[in-house]
Order: sequence, then structure tokens, then C-alpha cells
Amino acid sequence: MSRSQRIARDVLVSLSAQRQRVFLMMLGLAVGVAVLSAVIVIGQGTRERIMGLVEQHGLDMVMVRAGGEVQVFAPQADRGLASLVEADARAIEAEVPYIDLVSAVQNLRGLNVVYEDRSVVTRAFGVEPSWLAIRHRDVAEGEFLSESDMAAMARVAVLGVKVARALFPEGGAVGRTVRINNDPYTVKGVFIELGTDAAGIDDWDDRVVVPLTTSARRLFNRPYLEQIVFRVTDVRRVPEAAERARDLLAVRHGIAPGQPDDFFVREPDDVGGAAMETASTLSALLLAVSIVALVVGGLVIMNLMLASVSQRAREIGLRRAMGARGSDIARQFLLESLFVSIGGGAVGVAVGVAVAVALGAAGVASSRVTWVPFAVALLACVVVGLVFGIHPARKAARVDPVVSLRGRAA
Amino acid sequence: MIEVQDLTRSYKRGTIETQVLNGVSFRVPRGAFVVIMGRSGSGKSTLLNILGLLDKLDGGRYVLDGTDFSRAGDDERSAARNRKIGFVFQQFHLLERASAVRNVTLPLLYAEDDPGDADERAERALEAVGLSHRARHFPGELSGGEQQRVAIARALINDPALILADEATGNLDAQSGGEILDIFRRLVEAGRTLVLVTHDRAVAERADRILLLDDGRIVGDEAVARATQGASGAAGLV
Repeated sequence: MSRSQRIARDVLVSLSAQRQRVFLMMLGLAVGVAVLSAVIVIGQGTRERIMGLVEQHGLDMVMVRAGGEVQVFAPQADRGLASLVEADARAIEAEVPYIDLVSAVQNLRGLNVVYEDRSVVTRAFGVEPSWLAIRHRDVAEGEFLSESDMAAMARVAVLGVKVARALFPEGGAVGRTVRINNDPYTVKGVFIELGTDAAGIDDWDDRVVVPLTTSARRLFNRPYLEQIVFRVTDVRRVPEAAERARDLLAVRHGIAPGQPDDFFVREPDDVGGAAMETASTLSALLLAVSIVALVVGGLVIMNLMLASVSQRAREIGLRRAMGARGSDIARQFLLESLFVSIGGGAVGVAVGVAVAVALGAAGVASSRVTWVPFAVALLACVVVGLVFGIHPARKAARVDPVVSLRGRAA
Repeated sequence: MIEVQDLTRSYKRGTIETQVLNGVSFRVPRGAFVVIMGRSGSGKSTLLNILGLLDKLDGGRYVLDGTDFSRAGDDERSAARNRKIGFVFQQFHLLERASAVRNVTLPLLYAEDDPGDADERAERALEAVGLSHRARHFPGELSGGEQQRVAIARALINDPALILADEATGNLDAQSGGEILDIFRRLVEAGRTLVLVTHDRAVAERADRILLLDDGRIVGDEAVARATQGASGAAGLV
């Protein structure tokens, strides 16, 4: 063993011989780490629950529709008001903050989709690849549209599950060629079953989706859009992002104050943001409490270590006489506070995570256990052990062996 | 073994400077048993601390085992304390929470190279002082004489060239003290160099040579075979 390893082992042997003192030193820090790790476990659980709600209800998506507000729910919504264009989508992407994904969307009802002797009349959407994530959709078979499909204006389509079942009752839709308005399209994928929207009007399974470029240049052959959809990265910023998009489009469309908009920004209910806000506030509060507890725990360790330097001056002098360098003594005391704080942290994280999991099981709070509380606890303890251990360690290294070994002062 | 020349050391307490050692010179050859005697305040503890490389000297020269430590830094002195010197204190200075074996192995903790067989060496050292049967005992379970024998075993474990003992029998009854002095004598006969500080004339008589220190100077240097009165002045001084 190297000298450092021998000193580390000696520290562990010494600590194990004074468990009561070690326990008292650990206590404060253990409480701090317990609160901290419980906060993390509950915080992550809460966040996950809220994100689940956000995903389920699309609470992070803002939709801009062509036409003024009054037309939004009119049955002729698809009649194609020539107000939104793809450049609007690119402008939103470039200038509205807090958003990561944008897709321009075209749609048209009443398209004929045919495979051999079967046919359905359905609604077609032209979208960008980002649309899948923005709308929290997924494909059950095959793949979604890609950027190369966009670039090639490819005749490819992803089918809603009802369309797929109507045309391919035996399954195996992917890779087959269907005719949409008489043009051949290769089936690239099939969506998972989604059901109808809350109002029971829109049937999300009765759809075909093609690349936006294909719909704009081939299928619908028009540049204007029905929608622009975008995803907000932080659910608390949804109202702000929607407002910025509204202002941006009003300027781009030259709408004077007081005039009605030729578009409508529909933002989701703010429940996601409100929930996240509450959870964050609570987390921040508990985080502050646990940081205070960590600092107090560190101060406890520092004071007990300082007292121990005075009490053990004779021992320090003896070790110096036996050949310990000042740095060996500093290392001994630093390792002691480090081991004590890591020990306290281990106890704390076990208790904290256990309490959080118990609260989760009791239904009082949401909890999710990941590696994060353990890593944070270890880091916090190493930092506390070093920061609050360095002063006692330096003091110990400065103990003068001549003075501490002198006569009866021992 | 030891070569000391014009050693000076002073301490400042507040604004008052006290000259504790005032030009001390002497030599100790290898294998000698030398006692340093003096009244309290004569500077004998300071001299011992300097010989033990625990304290620095202000002026003069100190050569130990062929190495000049007059200007040595802290780390160099620490390493030399570990390798070359074994300390025996009046208060024993054992770690209360450590067994005899662990106390004896303490110097190995700070050795440059791990000897590996620490416990065996400790047991051999304890055997040399007649304490094999107490190896697993704690200091609180040992008599004063036994504790001092543990301390001697500790001083021996790194096989040092020089053993420094500070009033090593001062806290012991006559019989235990006698046993300690017997052990010292055996160590000297085995070729070790031993310097013992004491104010006890009877203890000093057991050495080969007595250095008398007063007011920071060597005022006497006597071979023990000679009469104690009439210090022989500069005889033997460098």
C-alpha cells in the first residue's frame, strides 16, 4: 500500500473505534442529505407526472390556424384561407423563443384513397417530420416521414389505423402502393390507434399523412397552409410563446391595431404550466431548506473537527515525532471529515429515498428513483467534507509537536 | 553519529527573547549511551527536540548519521525522524484507542515504503521488550512500565540509528524504571545509540557519559566511570 492508502486505512480504523463521536458528526449532514434526496425523488416524480399530463393533453403545443377566430369551428375550416404560408412557419421557428419544433400543416378533406378493389374517402395532411413529436403521435408499423421524403417531394404516406384496416384488412400495409386521387403513393407507416378528440368530432385514426412538400406541390397543389404547430420546450412558457407568435404574425400579415387577425393562435389550457410552477416553487423551497441543512451539517462537522484538533494535539505531536509530515496530518484530518460526511450522506440518502418512496406508495406524493439523488448526495458530501474539513485539517497540520508533546500538558 | 557545533536557539514570547541554547557543541559516537542532565530551564528539552529534528536551530550545525540537518526543511526532517530516530517520552504518548500492536506499528504508517509485514514486525519488537503476551491489550489495560515498554517497541520498529528518551523513567516506580533502563542498556549493547534526558542522578549513572547542561551551555562532560564532582570542562567537547 502507498503511504496515502496506509493513512486512509488508519483513519478508517480510528473512526471505527469511536462510533459514537462519528454518529454525532454525521447526524446534521445526514438530515440535510435526507431532505435533499427526498426532494429530488419527489421532484422527479412530480415532474414526470406533469410531463405525462402535458403529453397526454398536448399542453406544450401551440396551434396557429388560418382564418380569423370566428372561422375556427366552422365546418368550412378546410376551405383554404390564403393567409398562412410556410415562410410564417420559418419566421416563428427563427424568432419565437422557448420553442424547439415547428411544423407547417396543410390538410384537405374528401380525398379518395384506393388499394386494389377497396377504397376510402378520408382527410389528408401534409406535414413536416417534426409534426410527429409536436403532436405526440407515433407509428405502430413502418416509419414516419423523413427529411429526404420532404426534399424529394416523395409520394409516400403514413396511414391512420382506420384507413389501414379498411384498405388492408389482412394487415401488411407498409410497403404497398395505394392511389391517392389517382396518384401512386407508397405506404411508409401506420399510426398507432389514437381515437377521436375530446369533442368526438375529429377522428385521428381516419387520416393519411404525406410530406408537406408533396401536398403543396402535387396533392393539393397550393402554397398556403391550414395550420402551423409548434412545441414549447418549457410548459410554463406556453402563454408567452403563443403571444410572441401572435405578435410576429400580426406584423408579418400587416394587420393594423383594431383590425381582426387573419389567423388564430390556439394555445392549450395553462394547467400544465400552473402545475409545473407549483411543483418548481415547492422544490425550490425544499431545496433551500436542504442546502441550509447541508451547510449546518458541514458546520457541525467543522466544529467537532476543530475541537478534535485541540483535544488530539498530543496525538498529532506524536504522529509528527513518528515521521508524519504536516501534509500527512492534514490528509488524515481531511480524510476523516470526508469519510464522516460521505458516511452521513450514505445514511441520509438511504433514509431520504426510502421516505420519498414510502410517500409515493402511500399516494401522498409522486416519486421516481433514479441515479440522480445518489449522485447529488455523493457530490454534496464530498464538497461539504472538503470545504468544511479544510480548515480543521490546516489547523491540525500547524500543530507544533514541540508544544503539544511538552511535559504534562499532554 | 551525532555532531553538534555552536548550536543556538532562542524563543520569542511577546517582545521578550529568551536565549535557550547558547553555543552547544559535542559529539556522540555510534553505540554510545549518553545522558543529558540539567536543571529545569537549562535547555535540555530544547536540545533534545533539536536532536530529534522536531525543532529547528537558529545557528550552528547539526549532523546526524552523516547528514547535515542544520537547514533541512520540514518534509526532510519528518522523513529522517521516521527513518533514523526512535522517541521514548516521559508520558509514554500511546494512542488510547489502539492496541499495543497498532501503537507499535504507528511509525510504519509514515515510512516511504510499505514494509508489508507490519504486524509481524510489531510482534518481534514487543518480544524484544518482553511484552508478546500483551500485544492485543490497550494502553488502559497495561501498567506504566508495560506502557513504556510498548513505547520502546514503537521506537524500535523502524530500526532507527538513534533513540531519544525524554525522562523515560520519570513516571515510573523504581522497579519499572530499572527494567526500562535494563532494556536501554541491552539496546546499547546491541549497537544502538541512545540519548537520554533526565534530572535524576541515579538514572544518569547508568549511562556511559553525562553531559551537563546549564543556562544553554554544556558545562560538564563526564565519563560515568569517573567521579561526578569536578566536571571536566572542555574535555571531549568539539
